[in-house]
Amino acid sequence: MTSPFDKMSERLTRNLARFSSRRGFLSKISVVLLTAPAFPLLPVARSAKAAEPKSAGSKTDFELNSQTNDDTKCNYWKYCGSDGVLCSCCGGGHHTCPPGAEPSPISWIGTCVNPEDGKSFVIAYRDCCGKPMCGAGKSCWCDNSDRELPTYRSSLNNDIIWCFGNSSATYHCSTAALVGEAK
Amino acid sequence: MFRVFVLALTGLPALLRAETIEALSPRATYLLNCGGCHGVNGASNSRLVPDLKDQVGFFLNLPEGRSYVVRLPNVAFSMTTDEALTGLMNYVVFTLGGANVPKGAKPYTVREVSQLRRMPLTEVSLVQTRRQMVQVLIDQYHATTDLRLYGEGDYGTSQ
Repeated sequence: MTSPFDKMSERLTRNLARFSSRRGFLSKISVVLLTAPAFPLLPVARSAKAAEPKSAGSKTDFELNSQTNDDTKCNYWKYCGSDGVLCSCCGGGHHTCPPGAEPSPISWIGTCVNPEDGKSFVIAYRDCCGKPMCGAGKSCWCDNSDRELPTYRSSLNNDIIWCFGNSSATYHCSTAALVGEAK
Repeated sequence: MFRVFVLALTGLPALLRAETIEALSPRATYLLNCGGCHGVNGASNSRLVPDLKDQVGFFLNLPEGRSYVVRLPNVAFSMTTDEALTGLMNYVVFTLGGANVPKGAKPYTVREVSQLRRMPLTEVSLVQTRRQMVQVLIDQYHATTDLRLYGEGDYGTSQ
């Protein structure tokens, strides 16, 4: 006499044998194994991906409106991380200090994309120091933040006055000097 | 099912390629992580930030000097992968350090840098550690006395 358990397991086994094939199972498991790496599920994998340089398709708000002609405007491409008054409005240039002001030997460094060729360049945000703050018009006051980090990462922050390597720590204006290609 | 299987096989390499990170050159890695304070060519305000140019190579005369330059907190904790940091250290020591690297000094390996950065110098007086090492380098290895410029004067004013 067979027990109900025996009958049940026999039915299960027979059904399994009837509706599944070994090759079918192998191909299904292969697909799962091969495609799994393409779908990272753990937050670790996602945050690692977020740290990668962004692809050409994703532009910052600054990059969508940047230009290469007028360095007295906040949207001039090298100012993508500039915070302060532009030296180019104060008798200097985007990489030179106005007469009487001293460039800071210490600065923070970021990258900006040249909209003409789409290439990324290394920019040193050097403050000009040793003179009272330049009194340029409002359109020369910028507050851009591409590649800038919060104050707790002070070496990459633009709210600090970068004049502490100079003889005078008085802030006059901000420059953005191109120091190389980011590649 | 077979079609799906083939699709997965042909689609996968494209997906993997899209995820490859284009690594920056050691020079660009240096500029972005160190150049702001150390200067784009390895020197800025010598009293406030140690010069690298023509000085950092001397540290490789001592085994503890070789590890010290990687274990410095801003190096060990830098936002770089082990591979990028290795390229960066070799650029700093052998290119910026230039002629001062002792003869026969070997480049840093990824394995070495990866181990050293896991032992950051956070529990010692960095000023004292450096001062003692610089003393030995000047006395026994004819290192330049310019190594003593760092930390001289009040708050490193440039004049």
